[in-house]
Amino acid sequence: MIRTRNPIVPYLFVTPLIALLVFIFGYPLVKIFDFSFRRIRGITGPWVGRENYDLILDHPLFREAVNHNLQLLIAVPILIFLSLLIAVVLFDQVKGWRIYRTILFIPYILAVPIVAVVLKNFLQFNGPFNETLRSVELDALAVDWIGSPDYALWTVMGVIIWRELGFGIILMLSRLLSLDQETLEAAELDGAGWWQRFFYVILPQMTGVIEFYFVVSLITMIAAVFSYIYMIGRGGPGTSTMVLELYIYNFITRNSLPGIASAVSVMLFLVTTVLILILFWLRRGAREREVG
Amino acid sequence: MSRVSRRHFLKMSAALGAGLGFSRSLPAFARNVRLQDTELLMWWWGEQELPGLQQFVDDSIAAYTDARIEAVLQDTSVVISQFQTASAANEAPDIQYLWNGIYHMESVWFGYLEPLNGLVDQTVLDVSTPTLLSNYGGNVYRVGWYPLPMVWYYNKELYDQAGLDADNPPKTWDEFLDACDKLKGAGIAPVGGGIQDGFWGEWYLGHGLVQNLDSVGEALDLFIGERDFREPKYHEFWTKLEELVSLGFINEEMSSLELYPGIDLVVTGQLAMGESIGSRVPADNAALNGNLGVMVMPVYGTGALAGKPILDVQGLGISSQSDNKEAAAAFLEFLHSPDRLTAFWETTQWMPSNTGWDASVIEDPVVKFMWDNWNLGENIPYISNLVPGQFYTDALLPNAQEIIAGNRTGEEAGEVAAQVVEDWRAFNPDLLENYQTWGEDLR
Repeated sequence: MIRTRNPIVPYLFVTPLIALLVFIFGYPLVKIFDFSFRRIRGITGPWVGRENYDLILDHPLFREAVNHNLQLLIAVPILIFLSLLIAVVLFDQVKGWRIYRTILFIPYILAVPIVAVVLKNFLQFNGPFNETLRSVELDALAVDWIGSPDYALWTVMGVIIWRELGFGIILMLSRLLSLDQETLEAAELDGAGWWQRFFYVILPQMTGVIEFYFVVSLITMIAAVFSYIYMIGRGGPGTSTMVLELYIYNFITRNSLPGIASAVSVMLFLVTTVLILILFWLRRGAREREVG
Repeated sequence: MSRVSRRHFLKMSAALGAGLGFSRSLPAFARNVRLQDTELLMWWWGEQELPGLQQFVDDSIAAYTDARIEAVLQDTSVVISQFQTASAANEAPDIQYLWNGIYHMESVWFGYLEPLNGLVDQTVLDVSTPTLLSNYGGNVYRVGWYPLPMVWYYNKELYDQAGLDADNPPKTWDEFLDACDKLKGAGIAPVGGGIQDGFWGEWYLGHGLVQNLDSVGEALDLFIGERDFREPKYHEFWTKLEELVSLGFINEEMSSLELYPGIDLVVTGQLAMGESIGSRVPADNAALNGNLGVMVMPVYGTGALAGKPILDVQGLGISSQSDNKEAAAAFLEFLHSPDRLTAFWETTQWMPSNTGWDASVIEDPVVKFMWDNWNLGENIPYISNLVPGQFYTDALLPNAQEIIAGNRTGEEAGEVAAQVVEDWRAFNPDLLENYQTWGEDLR
């Protein structure tokens, strides 16, 4: 072990790593902020001040994209509720729970493009899903899930929930399996029913992991749904599934305006940073409660 | 003065002649030596849409002795961005594959592409038909490589079932509606395809907007602000699409099918008519046992461009940063030599973009029909290739999808298009002058 009284020495050891991190993350971040104030053509362009931000905020499609991201946030409470519910059922160790756990986790390990392509075919107007509905006289429910602007965003949301749920279940189940069994047994011996044990014993101990999953899901819905959106409908039909990430992508690839894309990226970065700070704040509160 | 004998005179004359001849051949000899030492980098694309092109490229490189060529097949998603990024870093390839119109014009505006007139043999440039959309500021920036006729398919078997004349597809809009009505009456989905991925809408604009245009440049006026999509004649093609939807002539699953599965419906006898692309014809006509027909979009418009076959052409260009522009030009000329044109057909079973090519090898009558009418006949360029990217993503694709879904009228589509054009001008004030200049080339 190296012993030193010089306070600078430890910092010298971590300097290479910090330099690497600054290079990998810091430089692109600085460039994105810089680009967001320029009209970039190719790899550079003139300084235009806050013009890019003004253009974006006045752009109806940007507002529509924000609106769609906000609508996708509806998936967050659904994800939390379903993952908690299924995890608790599995925790009760119903017969074959290990197999169910594996099956429920499979969607999460599948690549998004595969999930999107398979489900897109499954949900076509004359695809297997609607044919099944028609075969049981439920024709009214056999709508155009991916082709109608009225349903497309909700269909995408359903696909996201279907795939992302596996992560939530495993997260919740891991926490459940680490709970103090004696407390649960004591509650049962004291005559607490299933619901009482859930609400008064299990749930309070799950707060930390639920908060974590809540913030992670929020960030997913705001800044990590591109692969679903792109693979399922590229923002369509119409602009019914346009989200911020696709908006950024279009301005880079189709519109050749990296400055605009950078300005939206900066906004998205700031929003997700705030969410992460909230997560840290919540975690600190949870730790203090646990210690208390 | 010494006397010069006849023999001496002849010897001197022969020596002088040989010397002169040798000296005249020196530059060509030196050029050949130089070219043989030349290495060219070629970034290309196309195997994805024309299987066999890789083989053609490999064979051509092996057969070419004047330079060593390294060819790199690009991924579809980076064909434009990779070239532009490399050019910005001064690392561009010598030869670059170029899609038509705006897809290479931005690189022209950045100064990344070299004008080919004066560099590539003018005859080769002319016969390769790079189309009008490769012209800018009086220069030509691409050599045509292979053509993509934009066609409408119709299934002759289904025409027969509906009592229609399969040898005379509808030419006017009224004839077309009448045919749709008869097909529908016979229980056959009349027209459509798949629009879930949006690209059907791109093709539809290419076929439809031109019908009320008198020149290709007039389309650019819509973007530089001299004309407006709100004028009925400029959104009439969307109104016609709305008409087809309201009459129930569109196949019911169109919104949830992608472009190519939608075309397959025509080939498999589930749909009578739809948009397609010429390069599919050989395989699709074989699958239909020769019962595939191709036609131009039925005419409703009154513009000078209405009813004319639409020809898109994929092409190749030369980087302005290339140190070997002449060598690159020589290779592009080599690709259009008779031997290479024959090889192109043999390896791809598709036509090269060269009006001098001996097309007698074409056996399929539908392919021959396309060659005669789309390639050799009077044709017009594919104007979807000149719309700005922002218009493409925010108006062109969404409008067609919304109309097919029954959520938007043609007039509303025109309003959306006009609004998107205004947005585009606000986002791209620096491009307006380029578009204006380009418009002059397209009139």
